[in-house]
Amino acid sequence: MLKRGSKARSALFTLLMLLPGLAGFFGLFFYPMMVTVVRSFRPEGELVGWTGEHYVKFLSEPRARDVIVLTFVLSISATLCSILFSVVLCLVLRRKPRGHRFFRLTMLIPRVVPGLIGALGLLLLLGSRGWVNLFLIQFIPLVEEPIRFNYTIPGLILFYTWLYFPFTAVTTLSTLESLDPAIEEAADVAGANRWQVLRHVVIPLIMPGILAGSVLTFMAAFGAFSIPLIAGGNYRPLSVEIYKQINFTPARWSAASARAMIMAALQVAFLTFYMRILRRPSA
Amino acid sequence: MSEQMIELRNVTKRYGDLLANDNITLRIRRGELMTLLGPSGCGKTTALRCITGHNIPDEGEVWIDGQNVTEVPTHRRELGMVFQNFALFPHMTVFDNVGFPLMIRREDKAKRQERVMEALRMIRMEKYASHYPRQLSGGQQQRVGLARALVYQPKVLLLDEPLSNLDAKLREEMRFEIRDLIDRLGITAVYVTHDQAEALALSDRVAVMNAGRLEQLGTPDEIYDYPRSRFVADFIGLSDFIVGTISAVHAEKKTAVITANGLDISVPATPEMSPGREALLFIRPNNVDLLPASHAGGTNVFPGVVDKTTYLGDRNDYRIAVGKDLELRVQTDGKVRFKVGDNVQVHLPLPLCRVILE
Amino acid sequence: MTLLRQYLRAILSARKLLITTFLLCFGLMIYLPFLMIAFRSVGKGWFGRLWLPPELTLEWYRWAIEVTNIVDITKNTLIIAVLAVTMATLVGIPSGWAFGRRKIPGKELLMSMILLPRMIPPIAYALGVAQVFYRLHLINTHFGVALAHVAVCAPYAILVLSATFEGLDERVLEAASVCGANPVRTFFHVILPLILPGILSSMIFTFTTSYNEFTLTLMTYGKDTTTLPVRTYLAIGEGYWEVTSAMSIILVIPSIIVLFMIQRQVAPEKLVGGFKGV
Repeated sequence: MLKRGSKARSALFTLLMLLPGLAGFFGLFFYPMMVTVVRSFRPEGELVGWTGEHYVKFLSEPRARDVIVLTFVLSISATLCSILFSVVLCLVLRRKPRGHRFFRLTMLIPRVVPGLIGALGLLLLLGSRGWVNLFLIQFIPLVEEPIRFNYTIPGLILFYTWLYFPFTAVTTLSTLESLDPAIEEAADVAGANRWQVLRHVVIPLIMPGILAGSVLTFMAAFGAFSIPLIAGGNYRPLSVEIYKQINFTPARWSAASARAMIMAALQVAFLTFYMRILRRPSA
Repeated sequence: MSEQMIELRNVTKRYGDLLANDNITLRIRRGELMTLLGPSGCGKTTALRCITGHNIPDEGEVWIDGQNVTEVPTHRRELGMVFQNFALFPHMTVFDNVGFPLMIRREDKAKRQERVMEALRMIRMEKYASHYPRQLSGGQQQRVGLARALVYQPKVLLLDEPLSNLDAKLREEMRFEIRDLIDRLGITAVYVTHDQAEALALSDRVAVMNAGRLEQLGTPDEIYDYPRSRFVADFIGLSDFIVGTISAVHAEKKTAVITANGLDISVPATPEMSPGREALLFIRPNNVDLLPASHAGGTNVFPGVVDKTTYLGDRNDYRIAVGKDLELRVQTDGKVRFKVGDNVQVHLPLPLCRVILE
Repeated sequence: MTLLRQYLRAILSARKLLITTFLLCFGLMIYLPFLMIAFRSVGKGWFGRLWLPPELTLEWYRWAIEVTNIVDITKNTLIIAVLAVTMATLVGIPSGWAFGRRKIPGKELLMSMILLPRMIPPIAYALGVAQVFYRLHLINTHFGVALAHVAVCAPYAILVLSATFEGLDERVLEAASVCGANPVRTFFHVILPLILPGILSSMIFTFTTSYNEFTLTLMTYGKDTTTLPVRTYLAIGEGYWEVTSAMSIILVIPSIIVLFMIQRQVAPEKLVGGFKGV
């Protein structure tokens, strides 16, 4: 009798302890999302009534397709570039070259500073008077005029990659380092040269880590806001589109909400597709 | 065709301040199973990795089958290796694991299939071809490791403590399987272990290593019966050590006398012995006879008192105080049992007393 | 040295060269932007094709302090951060305790849920937060902005603290009671010292998160609660690169200092906010 009572008490206590967290989650995330969902179906400026016009209007615009395509192009390219770069970086870092601890920290810098600042720095660095162009003009004979990096799609992809590659790099590195070295030695002895070991043994085994990290990279890139806001120029991905709606006077909350819902839906859809297709049986 | 299959010539390897291999010279004959035996940190694994090429020696050379391979990278040395933790590729099936070396060598699919299945049959795992390593037991994984190492018929098989991760009973079974396989294939093998029972049971010759140096090289009986240093005597089997001085040498009788702890012990004489020299006498505890107090007299029979007894089921383990400040460990079969405090006569049979001159 | 050994060593060093170049470029790519901002913030008369500003000056910083009122803005940022940290820690400790020391059905699912606000980029739900806050008159209040920050800070806190509490070995507590300590003394002498590093760690994370937070702040701020990130953004819009750079440096220095300070204690994964089970 006493035992059952204390078990129930313990469960109650646990629930109590979880309450603040759950309350926070509901109050600051779940409820606001619900509000957004509802608002997206309301006529602009009204608090009652249902309409799907915001969705219809947005999706029927030819611009809408461009915006969505742009968002995907940026995020997917950034994710691919991140994967490529991270794999090379991690393969280099795991042999612990000189100063590797410094570079492991460096890997984290883009995540520790506000995205704004990174974007600002890159804007300055890659601008027409920035050091990159100065270097190219002075030292590369073919380059006479400053190359335009900023406010272009490749430039944006570079910005995105700069900011979001750490997600992929960190998980790749930790997966790489948890690999049993004996497995690579076994491949070695069996006759595989360095490239064959990488191709047949290492890469397949770190794939789960790479994918886990690249999912985070993709999601961050898809929802990137401050970067395209200041460095996107004429290119406006979905996140900026949402913000634009609020900047009208009067603010178009419903239109913004509809776009936010479309964005969330796209993100979830892509994610599910990505995970289903690419998930391998874990090693 | 040289008789030596593998040669380490004056191999030295350092890790910072640590001298892992100190001027090791070792010759392994074609077709023999040589075991590198020693405690952790003795350098046996380092030496093995010099053979595989995972370590490049700081000094010295590695020769395999008459060729200097010191600077040949691992993947071109045509060796087979079995690992302590199996090191199977977790993302490949048993079939793909065993077929991996053949795939690397670009063998065509049909031939590959044939050879892999043959290898699997050799280890009796043909039914597990589509299994993944995580579905197999330790013993099964190790057998797959063996098959993978042998499928491309390497000249040499290297085994790095292959049985350490298996439980005791399995270890014994696998020991025979491995030896059997090696004999059937007539392959040269180098085996690394810290388990002396394994080394003595399996090997044609044993190389005992300590602190980076080769202490003694010989057949299992030589190592066991005629260790040439205190370390080897101590490491292999149980030993009683008595430190003394050679007091006399009787060349005609081929015996000498060592005085230690107030006792005069007769031992077989060797040419290096001379009176006045320090000598280390050792005898295996199970070679010492314990006789009742009444049996006094005779060569190497000394009175003693039982200090401790331990019953081990099939044996009795005694500590006997004998001479001055000397405690000998003695093991006898279960038949006669002495108690603490009993007076006994300790007999050290002359032919079984070994002397180490250092 | 044999010829082959020399040859191999040459190839090995070429490899080293490649690796060194790669790492160098990597380092440059990451740090040059900040260096550029730094120089921009102290440069005078930097026009045309010059590598470095011809004159150095602190007037941009002075401008930032006097004209853009950066002192007040920094104060705002700090107040909000402190509030956010307090709230996030108060949420994180009980949740962390529950996750770390109790069996909870569907724990993995719940954890994933709690981490959702960090996984889904803020713009999606910041809209909703803004609307709710408007109704509750929380816009342009320090408390309001801090509360919005809790949405992204609390997940970090919970993550770190649940690991901390999980690491609290039950047996150490048992040993304490066997030694004769009652629950109160056990708490102060055993539990507290053991969880303090975790709490500090989570506070540092949440502080940096709040300090750097932009999107949510943008949605909930007002005249009196402008933070450094928002002000910097506005400055970029205004087009004075020099003043903006000065502000950016002020904004960025604490983060980098914190990073190098705690780099020894904490695993990088936590900083990046990844979690198991994706």
